[in-house]
Formats: sequence, C-alpha cells, structure tokens
Amino acid sequence: MLQAITRRLRRGKRGISTVIVVMLSLVLMVIIVGNVVLWSYQMNQLDWEKMREDVAIVNATSVRDGGTLFTFKNEGSLTLHLVSLWINNSTQHQRYNINIFINSGDTASYTYSNVTLPDKPYNVKVITERGNTAVFASD
Amino acid sequence: MKPIIKRFLRDKRAITPVLSSLLLTVVAVAAMAIATSATYVITTNLRENMSERVIVEDVWFNSATRTVDVYMHNIGKVAIRVSGVYINHTSQPFNSPFRLELNAHDWLSIAYSWNSGDLYYIDVVTSRGTHVASYYQAP
Repeated sequence: MLQAITRRLRRGKRGISTVIVVMLSLVLMVIIVGNVVLWSYQMNQLDWEKMREDVAIVNATSVRDGGTLFTFKNEGSLTLHLVSLWINNSTQHQRYNINIFINSGDTASYTYSNVTLPDKPYNVKVITERGNTAVFASD
Repeated sequence: MKPIIKRFLRDKRAITPVLSSLLLTVVAVAAMAIATSATYVITTNLRENMSERVIVEDVWFNSATRTVDVYMHNIGKVAIRVSGVYINHTSQPFNSPFRLELNAHDWLSIAYSWNSGDLYYIDVVTSRGTHVASYYQAP
C-alpha cells in the first residue's frame, strides 16, 4: 500500500511547478516582511527611547571670569547626550555645538568661556541627540 | 571515436526538450532576478520612509532679513531633502535645494513677510512625505 503511494508520487510530476512557485513566493514574502518588521522594531526602539528622555536646564549664569555656567539635570531613566546649545533673544539666535553626556538622575554643570549671555529677556535651549529639547527662560 | 561524434552531430532527436528546458531555466532565472530586485527596491523604500527623523531645533522670525529661519537637524538614519515648506497651509519659497545628510543640521530660510505677534503654522515636508509641523508665534 505504502509502496504504491510512493511510486505514484514519484511518477506523478503534475503540480510541481506550482509548488515551487508558491515556495519561492513565500520566501520572498518572508524576506520583505521580516526586513520591514525588523527595521520598524529598531525605529520604534529609538522613538521609545526619545519618549523616555527628560532633560532640564536648572540654571544659566554668567561667571566672573567671562563665559557662562550652565547646569543641566537628567530627569529621565536613560543617559543623555546633549549636542547643541542655543542662546536666543529678540535680535540673535546663536547655536553652539556641545558634547555632554549625563547619566540618569545626575546633575552636571559646565562653564563655556565662549558663550556670553545677552541682555534679558533671553532663552537658553539645549537639544539632545535623540531630538528632545529643554528650555530655560531668563526672568 | 570519430563515428561517435559524427553520430552525435547527426542525431537530432530530443533537441526540442533540451531547448525547452533551457528556455524554461532562463525564464525562471530572469523572473527570480526581477522578483529579487523588486523586493530589494520595495524594502529599501519602506525602510527609508520609516527611518526619516528630522527635528526643528529653532525657529527665528528674523527681523533683519524679514524671513522665517528654521534650524533643522536630521536625527534619522537616512539623508533627507526638503521638498516643500508651508506657512498657514500655503506653499512658500525657501533656500532650495535643502538637503541634510545623516546627523547634519542647517538653517532653512523661508522668504515670508511675517507680522509681529501673529501665530503661524509652519509645515516642512520632506521628499519622502515626512511632515514636521507646529505652531510658532512671531515675537
């Protein structure tokens, strides 16, 4: 009985091409879907990290020797990477490249000798690598 | 040896099945190549669309130049090109072509006659269709 079925299967060539086409199509579909799903997962991870970030500018004061002292606080659960600092007032918007890492929960102070605070009112803004912003407004 | 070769060359039987098999193989390989290329193009497009992340670091209603200057930062995983800028849903001229490589940042200058105190809805659109839009009040 089993031998007869095996023999018939070996002899019968009909439908082979259909099976091959379906299998190849399935492979292609799996590649497309897998690729997209994996990439989407990676980008979702980035968005999720961005949502968890929480940064604050505690203070910005001019120091006696020239320059400005900035105090940043990481209130989120991920390590922050600050990439840009803005000093804005009504007449000037000035951007400075910075490179500061702050651990979760830490407060860090940095003095920039090349940064001068303008006359009040002004805004100090800091941008993180993930794209979040913290703003400090003068009185 | 010679008669064997002569007989082989004269014998025309079974040529058609060989040719048809060869043709079928060529067609199948071509079809698979097309399908693979299509898969690559589709997944690349989808991945690029998903990978676009761009932020607005600063908006400056510049009274000296009477322009609206938007500082853009590409924080995604692909280069971006701004294809259109809309202020209050109306297309505006800008410093085109505006292209940002990975992790690049620059000013996007929009020629627009703004009024002090007015609220503007600024919408920056990339060539892949990503919108970065928000309300900004002129100082």
